[in-house]
Amino acid sequence: MSYIELKGISYKYPVGDEKVLKDISLSLEKGKVYALIGANGAGKTTICNLIRGFIPHFFKGDLDGEMLIEGRDIREWEMGDLAQKMGYIFQNPFTQISGTKDTVFEEIAFGLENLRVEVPVIKERVAEIIKLFGLESLQEKNPQQLSGGQRQRVSLASIMVMDPEILIIDEPTSQLDPQATEEVFKIINIMKQRGKTIILVEHKIELIAEYADRVILVEDGKVAMKGKTKDILSDIKAMDHGILLPQYALLGYEMQKNDRLHEIPVTESEAIGVFTKWMAGKEN
Amino acid sequence: MEKKNVILSLYPTTKLLMILLIAVSVFIIPSYLYAYAMFLVCLVIAAMGNVTKEFANLTIKGLFSLCILIFVLQSFFYPGTHVLWEWGFLAIKQEGIHFGLTLTSKVIAVGSSLILFFRITPVKDFVYSLEVMGLSPKATYVVLSTLTIIPEMKKSSQVIMDAQKTRGVETEGSLMVRLKALLPMITPLVLSSVASTEERAMALEARAFTVNKRKTSIYSIEKTGRDSFIRVLLLVLLILLIVWRVAL
Repeated sequence: MSYIELKGISYKYPVGDEKVLKDISLSLEKGKVYALIGANGAGKTTICNLIRGFIPHFFKGDLDGEMLIEGRDIREWEMGDLAQKMGYIFQNPFTQISGTKDTVFEEIAFGLENLRVEVPVIKERVAEIIKLFGLESLQEKNPQQLSGGQRQRVSLASIMVMDPEILIIDEPTSQLDPQATEEVFKIINIMKQRGKTIILVEHKIELIAEYADRVILVEDGKVAMKGKTKDILSDIKAMDHGILLPQYALLGYEMQKNDRLHEIPVTESEAIGVFTKWMAGKEN
Repeated sequence: MEKKNVILSLYPTTKLLMILLIAVSVFIIPSYLYAYAMFLVCLVIAAMGNVTKEFANLTIKGLFSLCILIFVLQSFFYPGTHVLWEWGFLAIKQEGIHFGLTLTSKVIAVGSSLILFFRITPVKDFVYSLEVMGLSPKATYVVLSTLTIIPEMKKSSQVIMDAQKTRGVETEGSLMVRLKALLPMITPLVLSSVASTEERAMALEARAFTVNKRKTSIYSIEKTGRDSFIRVLLLVLLILLIVWRVAL
């Protein structure tokens, strides 16, 4: 039994004439990082909404096919149980702050208060997350006065403190500068090491090459390609679906026109390995 | 805010009862002198709570100017026979002055007590006490989030205004020009607020906000012995006022 399974899913939003998802079937394993890639409007966010149960619990519309979490249909799950099972981090850092809390500490505690966790336990868990995420200097600040990057880190912490098994992260860095992006990905890496199942929507392909285990390429509401990150991101065919391969892979392809490389690298460390080997071959 | 302060550290509903007693008492005791005296009482409480400046600012700028206007209008136009002063069709009548005094004294007493309440009570504390009394967290969320959303909307309206300016929409000048600039600003502001509402709702859902359990709160305020003492005192005062009224 798969951990998360989509069987022949088609979906149309209540407003709109066209189906945004067309016959999607996916099977996701526990503890892996999945990257959803594809052009804007391809249906990536809709897939996230579906897995989290916002479809059909929040957005109605026409849903065909089966969407199973641990073998149980999403329609049968209670919204409260889903909230505990799955964390969702949104694209916009400005709408995720509850807007009712005076300090970052209280903001992070909000989810646990809703779950009726005892106060001493809340305090302990919030303090732990703040330490883990390096948010000590922000904890007494008003969440409304934080920058975009700081808010996004607080949003991540607010979800992580609830300790969900699955994390859905929808373009967390689209509004962030390179430094804040790096900080967010450091945190994603920590979650990966803690064995969380992560579904990540992201456009920065180098980061996907670095952190994802599997890549799902979505195009026009359908799954165009799926497989191991290395296989997809070193496959020139992905370019036909509007994806720009990592620079290392592009460089590898350029070099292969004249010389034989034994493989196409997708990450920095792979590139160093491949090119070092190539240079050693040249010298001989 | 200094928590040890004798007024500020009271429980929010105790403060509310105190303010209500002041507001209600002016309807028990009809004299306008009593009602004006209540403003002084509010001023004393404000001084004890270290909020005199803000309190005085709001009452003098807002309430007093309104009350002077009411008083002038009433003294000229309230029907009456005892004319004190006359100039053309304008006549100040004694009944008008009396009615003006009674009315403004009540407006000032009720208004200043309400202003005082929100000066000495953080909205967060007030909402917390309401939630403890059993008000739905959804209702309290609406109250609290509105307070933070208004400055956010103000910010985004400024951004939209600037964006429209760069596209050549005139936003400064006569009233007519400003009114014309309003439409291209209001539409994106309302639309973006509506759009972000959906995301906000989902973000709250992601934090288990709609789970149907009673919630815990890491923020807490407690009633103390002083609260009970003040409440009893207020009750005694209320009884005394009623007795005074009946005896009059």
